[in-house]
Amino acid sequence: MKEKRKKRFTYITALQILTVAALLLYMQYAVGSGKVSKVFLAAPTDIAQKGIKMITDGTLLPHLLVTLQEVFAGYFLAAAVGITVGLLWVFFPKLEEYMNVFCAAIMAVPKTAILPLLILWFGIGFKSKVVLIFLFAVFTILYNTVTGAKLCDTKYIKVARVFEASRVQTVFKVLIPAALPSIFNGLRLAAATVLTGVIFSEMQSAKAGLGFLLSEAQSNLATARVFFIIILVTLISVGFVKIIAGLEYLLCYKWRKL
Amino acid sequence: MPTIKINHLHKSYTNEKGEATKALEDINLEIRDGEFVCIVGPSGCGKSTLLEMVAGLLDSTSGEILLDDVPVKGTSRDIGVVFQDASLFPWKTVKKNIVFGMDIAKVPKEEQEKRLAKYIRLMNLTEFENKYPAQLSGGMQQRAGIARALVMNPKVLLMDEPFSAVDHLTRCTLQEELVRIRQEENRTVFFVTHDLNEAVYLADRVILLTPRPGRVQQEYTVKLPHPRNRNDDYLIRLATRIMADIGRGCREDEAAEYFI
Repeated sequence: MKEKRKKRFTYITALQILTVAALLLYMQYAVGSGKVSKVFLAAPTDIAQKGIKMITDGTLLPHLLVTLQEVFAGYFLAAAVGITVGLLWVFFPKLEEYMNVFCAAIMAVPKTAILPLLILWFGIGFKSKVVLIFLFAVFTILYNTVTGAKLCDTKYIKVARVFEASRVQTVFKVLIPAALPSIFNGLRLAAATVLTGVIFSEMQSAKAGLGFLLSEAQSNLATARVFFIIILVTLISVGFVKIIAGLEYLLCYKWRKL
Repeated sequence: MPTIKINHLHKSYTNEKGEATKALEDINLEIRDGEFVCIVGPSGCGKSTLLEMVAGLLDSTSGEILLDDVPVKGTSRDIGVVFQDASLFPWKTVKKNIVFGMDIAKVPKEEQEKRLAKYIRLMNLTEFENKYPAQLSGGMQQRAGIARALVMNPKVLLMDEPFSAVDHLTRCTLQEELVRIRQEENRTVFFVTHDLNEAVYLADRVILLTPRPGRVQQEYTVKLPHPRNRNDDYLIRLATRIMADIGRGCREDEAAEYFI
């Protein structure tokens, strides 16, 4: 196991903390004294207050759950399809030859541009969000899986052949383990982008979700709430990536120098 | 009866322009049961190509390879291979790497444990079973690589420059261990190397290939019983003689890597 590096409290760290503190203090002062309108900026105490109120009076939770459900449904669908199709491509190169051009074309379309179509087809609710998140994530996962499996050193394939492993055994015992770091790379990159997709589409058209709350707060000029939701969404995004990284650590850390 | 018989074996590669390059030309060899044969030759003479064809990893252009009078078509469990850099799976522990082949071959668990224990001991890998390859030195990795091949009880062991990536002292130890194991098990070994001292120390017979295309230039029988002393005059003279013969078979710059 890696030796834990002792975090030294240097003057750089002190400077960084001072910078953040100064920024927060300025926000507090500027809004409190009326120098900057409450429409443009929010005092940190106000943000905290509004946040606590949203949590305690129950307005936040249903929307949070809607967003999380959409994200998890879309993301896991994308992970399942991306990894499966990626491995199928490795199994059947002809399939890749056939599908690659379509995938590359769909991947090139800015996903947010097809949101109007998705709304027409799937409505403004859960389904259209899941499909959008799926499209946001699936290609990153797919192409990382394929690249990982293709980069599998030929020497490992030779070992499998020498021991007369079948194709299925070679895929499950050699290709997938060898591709695992790359698959996780795709999963991590996708996790970082899906929040963008879901918040955007909820802001455009939705009846629930954090994006919906965000655009509602904005139209009511409730800037403190806007700030609170932005912070919350960022934390969710960071947490999500951390979970994937943790899973990767569990599965690969023993043999891979992370 | 010879274990391996190679008849009129040719191998050529064709590049994108359709030009054929000959790698090996008319190789004829007989390797007897229990014999230790070393293949030496300048780099690019097709030593490793020949080994890969015997292993069934590569098809020949023409000619045939017979193992106990049966043509080699694809890989076979009668043939074990030890690769240049061990090629252990980095995601498996030493133990899991060694049992990999037995798992594929569906060897019963008890038998697996028995053979695993035997070769862990024989290859001096005790206390390293649960380590990952990245945690081992090159020498220990190659011990595991050899154990992985031997647990399958192959009739023939093919070794492709197995000790070229380890330091000199470890190489000497591994060579001595290989000699010891071979005395215990008397397996047929087909060993590719570019180290002439290694070749004469290990082999019953040394086969010298010519550079591009590889042809059998000369054969040398090492008439010295094991255990050998690596500083034996006879061995040193033999290595010097092979060295001189290489010089005759190729240009000077290609012989340069063979200083002893």
